[in-house]
Amino acid sequence: MNAPPGSSPLLAFSKVWRSYGEGDMQIHALSDVSFQIEKGSFVAVTGPSGSGKSTAMNILGSLDTPSRGDYYFNGTEAGRLDKGTRADLRNRHIGFVFQGYNLLPRTTALDNVELPLVYRGLSAPRRRTLARRALAQVGLEGREHHTPSALSGGQQQRVAIARALVSEPTLLVADEPTGNLDTERSHEIMTLLTDLNRQQGLTIVMVTHEADIAAFAGRQIGFRDGRIAYDSCDEGMG
Amino acid sequence: MLLESVRLALLSVVRNKMRSFLTLLGVIIGVAAVIALLTIGGGAREKIRSEMAGLGSRLIFVFAGMPTDPSMPAVATARALTNTHLLSLEKTIGPYGIVAGHAETRLRVSYGARGLSGQILGVSRAYFGLRDWSLKRGRLPTAVELASNASICVVGSKVSEALFGVENPIGARIRLGSFHCRIVGELSARGASFSGDQDTIVMMPLGLFQTRISGKNDVEQILINAPSEASIPTLKAKVAEEMRRLRRIAPGRNDDFQVEDMAEYMRQASSIIGNVTAILGAIAAISLLVGGIGIMNIMLVSVTERTREIGIRMAIGARQRDILVQFLTEASVLSLLGGVIGIGIGLGIAWVVTALMNVDFVPSPAAITAIATVSMFIGIVFGFFPALRGARLDPIDALRHE
Repeated sequence: MNAPPGSSPLLAFSKVWRSYGEGDMQIHALSDVSFQIEKGSFVAVTGPSGSGKSTAMNILGSLDTPSRGDYYFNGTEAGRLDKGTRADLRNRHIGFVFQGYNLLPRTTALDNVELPLVYRGLSAPRRRTLARRALAQVGLEGREHHTPSALSGGQQQRVAIARALVSEPTLLVADEPTGNLDTERSHEIMTLLTDLNRQQGLTIVMVTHEADIAAFAGRQIGFRDGRIAYDSCDEGMG
Repeated sequence: MLLESVRLALLSVVRNKMRSFLTLLGVIIGVAAVIALLTIGGGAREKIRSEMAGLGSRLIFVFAGMPTDPSMPAVATARALTNTHLLSLEKTIGPYGIVAGHAETRLRVSYGARGLSGQILGVSRAYFGLRDWSLKRGRLPTAVELASNASICVVGSKVSEALFGVENPIGARIRLGSFHCRIVGELSARGASFSGDQDTIVMMPLGLFQTRISGKNDVEQILINAPSEASIPTLKAKVAEEMRRLRRIAPGRNDDFQVEDMAEYMRQASSIIGNVTAILGAIAAISLLVGGIGIMNIMLVSVTERTREIGIRMAIGARQRDILVQFLTEASVLSLLGGVIGIGIGLGIAWVVTALMNVDFVPSPAAITAIATVSMFIGIVFGFFPALRGARLDPIDALRHE
C-alpha cells in the first residue's frame, strides 16, 4: 500500500462482492475485490466490457452498494447508507463525468452547472456565481447561455466537468470521459483533468479502455472477470 | 426548490404546447362546464328569488284543478273558479289579507295601423294592492275605476313601444278585439319572466274583461296577500275550507282546486334548478375525472421520456423526494393551468348565456377558488403515480436509458 503512515485512504473496497440474481443463476460482477485509493490520486480503471469496472465505478460513485463486503468513503461506510443519504453524499462530495456528457438538453450551460447546487438548496444568486466560476475554470466564459446543442462535444464535456466541479467535490468519477471525442479534444480534456488533479488535489477515478488515455493517470487498475487483474501501484511497490 | 420545480414545470408546458393543450382539454372542458353551470344556475336562482320577492313572498294562489292528479291537465278537467268564489273569498278572507283575482287571454292589441299580440289581464278591484308596481308614466287605475268597470287600461312597455314608439301613450284609446280602452298608465320594462313576457301585458277591470272579451264570469286565479309569512299555513287552511264549502265538496272527497303559496313555488323552482345543476355538475365531474386520467397518461409519458434526465438528476444528488416533487409540481401546474383556462372559458359561456337569458351575471369567487383548488388537486392525485414511478427509478438504470 502506498498510504503514508497514519493517514487513512479516501476510498477503500474491503472484500467487496456485487452479485445479481439468486442461487444457480447468480452472477458475480465483482468477486472479493479489495483496494484503496489515496486522497489526491488520479486512477485509471481499465478492463474489457463485463470485467466489473463499471460496477466498481458505480459503487465508488455511491450510485450502487456492495452485495457483500464494505465500501468506505472518507472513513464512512458508504456501502451501508440509505438512498437519501447516498444522494446527499453524491451531491456534496462526488462529481460525475460521463461518456455521453449527460447534460440536460434545451438547458443552458449555466443552468446545467447550477443543477447540483439546486439540490443543495443554495439561493439563485449564489448558484449563479459558483456556476459562472466553474465554467470559467474549464475555459467556457462567454458560453454560459449556450444550450448543449449549440456546443461542440469537447465543450459539452467541459460543461459536464464544470457541473462536477461546482459542488467542490472530494472525488471526481469519470466514466469514459473521452469516449465520444477525437484525439485532439480527448487530449484537451485529459489535460484539464490532469491539471485539476495536480493543482487542486482533486481525487479522480476514471474508467477507460484506451491505453493512451489511461497513461495520463498516475495509477492504473485493471479488472478482469470481476477481480483486479493488475494494479500499477503494486508493481511500483514490488 | 419548489420555485425551481414550478419554473421547470412551466418550461415543460411551454416546450410541449400542443401536447399540453390536448392533455388539458379534459380538465378545461370539465372546469368550464362546472363554472358555467354554477354561474348560470346562481344567476337563474337569484332571478327567480328576486322576481318572486317582487311579486311578494306572502302571496297565496288559488286555482282550479286536482292536486292529486298532476298528470291530467288540471284546469281543463276541473270546474273553473268564478266571480262567486272571488266575491265569497273577498268577504271571508278579506279581513285577514288582500284578496284579488284575475283572468287572462291572448289577443291582438292595436292602435291605428299598428298592433301586436298582447297578454290581456282582467283584474279585480284590489289587484294592484297585492304588490308594488313600477310605473314609467301615468297612474294605476283606482279601486273605484276597477269596481265600476271603467274602460281604462294599463299597458306594458312593449305594448307602448309597438303602438306609440317614443310617444306618450297616456290618454290614447287602444283597440282590443272589438272593444276600446283608454290608457291611464304605462308599466316600466320588466323583461321576460318565467311566466312569459311581462312587457306585452294589458291590464283592465275584470268585469270589463269578462263581459267584453271572455264572455264568461270565470276567474283564472285568486290571490291572497297574507299579512305575514307565519300566517300563511293557517290562512291557506282557511281558504281551502272556504273553497270546499263554496264548491260543495263532500267530506272525504278530494279537492278540485289548489291552494299554493309563493314560498312553496320558490322552493320548487329552487329545487328544480338545484337538481338540474347537480346532474350537469355530475357530468362535469366525470369530465374532470377523464381530464385527470389524461394528465396521468401524459405524466407517465413524460417520466418515461425523461428517464435519463431523472438518472442525471439523481447522480448529481437529487433525492427521491426531489424527483417526486418535481413531477407532482409539473402535474399540478399543468392541471391548474387547465383549470384557469377552463374558468376563463366557463365565465365567458356564462356571460353569454346569462345575457341571452336576461339573468344577472354573478360569478361566485368562492366557486372559482374552489374549482381552481380542485383542478390543482386533480394534478396532485393523478400525477402521484407517475411521479412515484419516476422517483423510484434506479439511478444506474435511468442513466443507461436511451
